[in-house]
Amino acid sequence: MKALFSFSPFFAHRSGAFLLAIALSVLTLGAGVGLLGVSGWFLTGAALTTAGVAFNLFGPSALVRGFSFLRIVSRYGEKLVGHDATLRLLADLRGWQFRRLIPRVPLQGKAWRRGDLVSRLTADIDALDTVFLSALGPIATALVLGTAMTAVLAWYLQGAGLVYELGFFGASLVLPAILVLAAIAPGEAAVGASADLRMAVLDGVEGHTDLRALGATAWAQQTFTDASAHLQRAKTRQATIAAIGNALVQLFAGVTLVGLLWIGLDAHSAGALGGPLLVGLLLASLGSFEVALSIVRSASRLGAAQAAAQRVKALSETAPAVRDVDAPKELPQGGSVTFENVCFGYVPHRPVLDEVNLQVGAGERVALIGASGSGKSTILSLLLRLADAQAGTVRVAGENVAQVVQADLHRRVALLSQDTPVFLGTIRDNLLIGKPDANSEDCRRALTAARLDAFVSTLPDGLETWLGEAGRTLSAGQARRLCLARVLLSQASIIALDEPTSGLDPETERDFLSDLSAATSGRTVLIATHAKLAPGMVERVYRLDNGRLSLSEA
Amino acid sequence: MENDAAKGIGGPSGAPDRRQARWMSGLWRQARALVAASVLAPLIGGALLILQASLLASVLHDAIIGRADRVTLLPSILAIGGLIGLRAALAFVSERAGASAAETIKSRLRAALFTRLLDESPAWTAARPSGAIASMIVDQVEALEGFFARFIPALVAAAILPLAFAVVVLPVEPVVGLLFLVTAPLIPVFMALVGWGAEAASRSHVRAMARLSGLFADRLRGIVTLKLFGRAEAEAAHVEAASDELRRRTLGVLKVAFLSSAVLEFFAALGVAGVAVYVGLTYLGLIDFRTTPLTLQAGLFCLLMAPEVYFPLRQLAVHYHDRAAAKAAVAEMAILFDALPDLSEREAPVRPAGDAALVQAISVAVSSLTMKTPDGRHLVFDEAGFSISSGEQVAILGQSGIGKSTLLEALARLRTYEGGIVLGVQDLQDIKEEDLRNRIAFLGQRPRLFQGSIADNIRLGRRDASDEEVRTAAEKAQVLAFADLLDQGLETIIGDGGVGLSGGEAHRVALARIFLRDPALILLDEPTAHLDVETEARVIDAIRVFAKGRTLIVATHSQKVAAVVDRVFHIADGKVVPAKTDMRRSAA
Repeated sequence: MKALFSFSPFFAHRSGAFLLAIALSVLTLGAGVGLLGVSGWFLTGAALTTAGVAFNLFGPSALVRGFSFLRIVSRYGEKLVGHDATLRLLADLRGWQFRRLIPRVPLQGKAWRRGDLVSRLTADIDALDTVFLSALGPIATALVLGTAMTAVLAWYLQGAGLVYELGFFGASLVLPAILVLAAIAPGEAAVGASADLRMAVLDGVEGHTDLRALGATAWAQQTFTDASAHLQRAKTRQATIAAIGNALVQLFAGVTLVGLLWIGLDAHSAGALGGPLLVGLLLASLGSFEVALSIVRSASRLGAAQAAAQRVKALSETAPAVRDVDAPKELPQGGSVTFENVCFGYVPHRPVLDEVNLQVGAGERVALIGASGSGKSTILSLLLRLADAQAGTVRVAGENVAQVVQADLHRRVALLSQDTPVFLGTIRDNLLIGKPDANSEDCRRALTAARLDAFVSTLPDGLETWLGEAGRTLSAGQARRLCLARVLLSQASIIALDEPTSGLDPETERDFLSDLSAATSGRTVLIATHAKLAPGMVERVYRLDNGRLSLSEA
Repeated sequence: MENDAAKGIGGPSGAPDRRQARWMSGLWRQARALVAASVLAPLIGGALLILQASLLASVLHDAIIGRADRVTLLPSILAIGGLIGLRAALAFVSERAGASAAETIKSRLRAALFTRLLDESPAWTAARPSGAIASMIVDQVEALEGFFARFIPALVAAAILPLAFAVVVLPVEPVVGLLFLVTAPLIPVFMALVGWGAEAASRSHVRAMARLSGLFADRLRGIVTLKLFGRAEAEAAHVEAASDELRRRTLGVLKVAFLSSAVLEFFAALGVAGVAVYVGLTYLGLIDFRTTPLTLQAGLFCLLMAPEVYFPLRQLAVHYHDRAAAKAAVAEMAILFDALPDLSEREAPVRPAGDAALVQAISVAVSSLTMKTPDGRHLVFDEAGFSISSGEQVAILGQSGIGKSTLLEALARLRTYEGGIVLGVQDLQDIKEEDLRNRIAFLGQRPRLFQGSIADNIRLGRRDASDEEVRTAAEKAQVLAFADLLDQGLETIIGDGGVGLSGGEAHRVALARIFLRDPALILLDEPTAHLDVETEARVIDAIRVFAKGRTLIVATHSQKVAAVVDRVFHIADGKVVPAKTDMRRSAA
C-alpha cells in the first residue's frame, strides 16, 4: 500500500470534499441501519403493548420517517459530492502526471518503448482517480460505522460488542486485505496473458502474408489459442477469488447474526434486554453489513489501484535522459547544423551511428537517405537533443546543443517526426501548436505550403473543423500534411523533416517536394526520406549505411 | 483548444440495431449450463431467504412472546446458520458460474474472430489498422464479461424475485403483500426508470470519463511534439482546465441521473418504513384491516422481507451499464469485421501436412495477367504474359514501384489477379492451399518477425527442424554474422519488447526460413536489399546452391543477382519482357 499512500497528498489537497463525501456516506449507511433498527424496535414494542396502554407512537414513527428521508437525501448528496471530488482529483492527477513527464520524454529503455505505454498510463491514472469512490470511501465509512455500532452493542449487551467487532471488521477490513493479496498473482498473470494475446493478434494481422506464405496459419492459431487459454485461466482465478470473498461476507454476516442472537436471547431471558431492543439491535447489525459487501466487491479495484500507483510512481521518478547544464550558454543566431564524429547506439555492440560527420550551412537544404532502420531518424533526434550522443558533438549555429537551454534549441529547430500526431481539437488548434499567436492568414499560408488549403476550403467549418480522436476525420495523407503545416508555421530557422511524404500518393508527393524550396525559403532543411528527389530540390544528398554517413551522388 | 471538452459530451451514441442485440444474447448458448447455473442459483437463494426470514421471525416470536429458552430454540437457530451457509454457497456458485460462462464465451468469440481474420486474404487485414483489430479482440471483447457474468443473472433475479416475495407475503399479511404487489405491476416501470436513469447516468458519465481519458491519452501520445514546440506546459494546464470544465458539465447531467438511484432508494426506504409503521399501528389497534390478530412472527417476517423485495432491483441498477458497454463493443465489432462471426459452426483448425510431397522443379506460365493498384485507379499489369521452364532461374528487374512485388505476390497466390497463372500443369487457383504452400517458398519485401527468439522465427520455415538445421539455415542466410554478436545468439528474443533488428537483418532471418523448406518454386523479393557487398555475395552464393534443381524467380535491383541467373526479365508498360541484353550466367 506504500505506493498508494504516496498519492495521499492529492487526497489531502481535496480533503474537504472527500471528508464531506465520507460524512454523507456514513449518514446514508447510518440512516439505513437506524431505519432497520428503529423499525424492528418499534414493531416489537407495539406488538408487546397490550391494547389501551399508552404507547409513544410519535417518536418512533417520526424516527422511521426521518431516517428514510435522510437516507434518500444523503445518498443523493454522497454520490454527487463523491463524483465531484473524484473529477477534481482527476484534473489534479493528470496535470501532475503530464508535468512530471515533460522533462522525461522521450522515455529511454525497452519497457517504455512499447506501444501500449499511453493506454496503460491512462488506465493507471483512471484507476487512481476512482479508487476513492470505489474503495477508500467505503473503508472509511466502515471504520466509523463499525466503531459506533460496536460501542452501541457493547453498551446494551455484554459480549455482543466483541462478536460484532470480529464479524464486521473481519468482513470489511481483514477479508478485503486478504483478497487484495490473493488477487496479486492472478492479476499479474492476467496482465501478462493479455499482453501475449495482443502480441499474437498483432503477429497474425501484420504477419498475415508471411503466415499464409509459410503455411503457418495453424501455428499462429495455436499461439493465439494458448495465450487466450492463459488469459481465461487467470481471469477465472480472479473471479473465483472475488466469488469466495462475496460468499465469505455473507457468511461473516450470518455468523455474526447467529452469535448476536445467541447472546441476545440469553440476555433477554435473563431480563437484561427487552424484546424490542433485541430485535432492533439484531436488525441494525444485519443492515450494517451492506458496506462490507461493497468493500469486498471493490477489493480488486484496490489491488489494481495499488499496482497502478506503483507504475505511475516509478515512471514519474525515472531520471530524465537529457538535462540542461547548470550554466547554459546562449544559442547564437544562425541556422547552421554540424555533426562532428557523432556515435550513438541504443544497445551496446549495436551502434546506430558510427562517427557521423555532417555540415549544413544556414539556408541549405540537404536530404538523408538510407534503408528504414538505418538511423536517419536518430540523426534528427540528436539534433533536437531528444537523446545525447555517446561520442562526438552536435552543433547548431556553431554551439554545442548539449550546452544550451533545451527550450531555446527547440525554438530554433522544428521537427516533423514520423509519429507526430494530429491532436484532438480543431484544425486551427492543431496549427497553433506550431505558433500560438498565428492569425488566420498565417494558418492559410502554412496550409497552402503543405498542399492542404484546397481540402480545408471545401470544409464547411474551414479552420474550425473539429478533428476527432487521432485525427480520424482526416486521411493518413491529410493528417501528415496538417502536421507538416504545423512545422512550417513555426518560427524555427531549421526544419527537420522525417519522411514528410509518407502516406501521400505519388502525385501529391511530387508536388509537395517540388514546392518545398519555396515553402521553406531562407530556412535550413534536413529531410530524411525514401522519396525520389528531383534534381535541384536539395543541395546535397547523404546516404546512411551501416551507421556511416556518406555523400551520395544520387 | 478551448472547446474540445464541450464537444466531448455530445459525441455520437450510435444505437446498435436489434439484430446485434439478439446476436449478443444468443452467445449464451456457448455456455448453456454455466449461464443456467448463474441464473438459477440466485433464485434458489431467494427461496432459502424466505425460509431464513420466517425462521428468524419465529425464533424471535417464541423468545419474546413465548418466553422460550434459547436452548429449546437451538435447532431453529442452527437451521438459520445452515441456511445462511447454504445461501453463501449458492452466491459463490452463481458468481463463479457466471464468470466461467463469460470467460468461455469471450474465449470462443476471440477464437472465432481470429479465425475469421486468418481466413481472409492478407489484403483484407492490410486494409484495417492492426491496433484496432488487436484492441477489438483483446479489450473490447472484455466488455461482454459484465453482460454475461453480472447483468443477465441480475436481470432474471429482478424480474422474478420481487414478485415471488410479494406472493409469499400475501397470505401472511394481505395488506403488506398488497403493498408489495401494488409495486409489482410498477416494477417494469421501475425497471424502465432504472434503465433509463442508470443508462443515461452511466452513458453520460462513462462517456465523459472516456472522453477525458481520451483527451489525456491524446496529449500524452503527442507529448514529445508538444515539448518540442514548447507547448507542453500550456497543454498540461489545458488538460486540467478541460477536466474541470467537464466536471461542471458532467455534474449537471449527474444531478438528474442520480435521481434514478434516489427513486430506488425511496422505494426501498418506503418498503421498510411503510411496513414498520403499518404493522406497528395494527398491533396498537389504530388500524384494523384484519380478521385475526397479527402475530409478532408475521410482522417481523414482513419487515425482514421488505428490503429484500427491492434489493434485486438495486442490483440490476448497479449492473445496468454492463449491457450498454457490451452493446457498444458489439456494434464496433460488426463494423470492423464487416459482420458478426457465427460461433455455432466451429471448424477444427487445419493441421499442416508434412512435407511428403515429391519435390520437383515446376514450370511457370503466365498469360493475360491483368492487375491494378490497390486503389483500383492504375493498371500495374495489362495482359502480361511470360513463361519460365522448370528448373530455370530468372531475375525480374525494374524501378521500385513498377510491380515486381505485385507479380511475386500474385504468383504466390497472396493477391487476386485476372488472367491465367499455371504452375506445372495445374492452374494456380486449383491447387489445394496445403500443397501450394509446400511447393512454393516466398520471401516478401517487408517480412514480419514474430514475437520469440531468432531461432523460433527461423523455425517457422519448418516446425520440426532440429537446432542443427536451424543453425545451418541461419549460417547460409548470414544471420549468424550478427546473431553471434548478441549475448544470447540465436536464442535472443526479438520483436516488440525485444532487441530490434534492422531491415536488412530482419530480411536475412526471413530468408533463413526459406532455407529450411523444400520448395519446387522459390519466389524472392529483393533478397539482398540493405546488404553490404560481402554479405550480399555470400547470400547470393547460398541462394544459388539452394535453388539448384528448383525454379527460382527473384525480384531485384542488384546487378550482382541478375548476373548469376539464367534469364532476366524487365517490367515495362504493364508487360513482363525479356531483357534486351540477356545476361548469361557468368560463373560456373
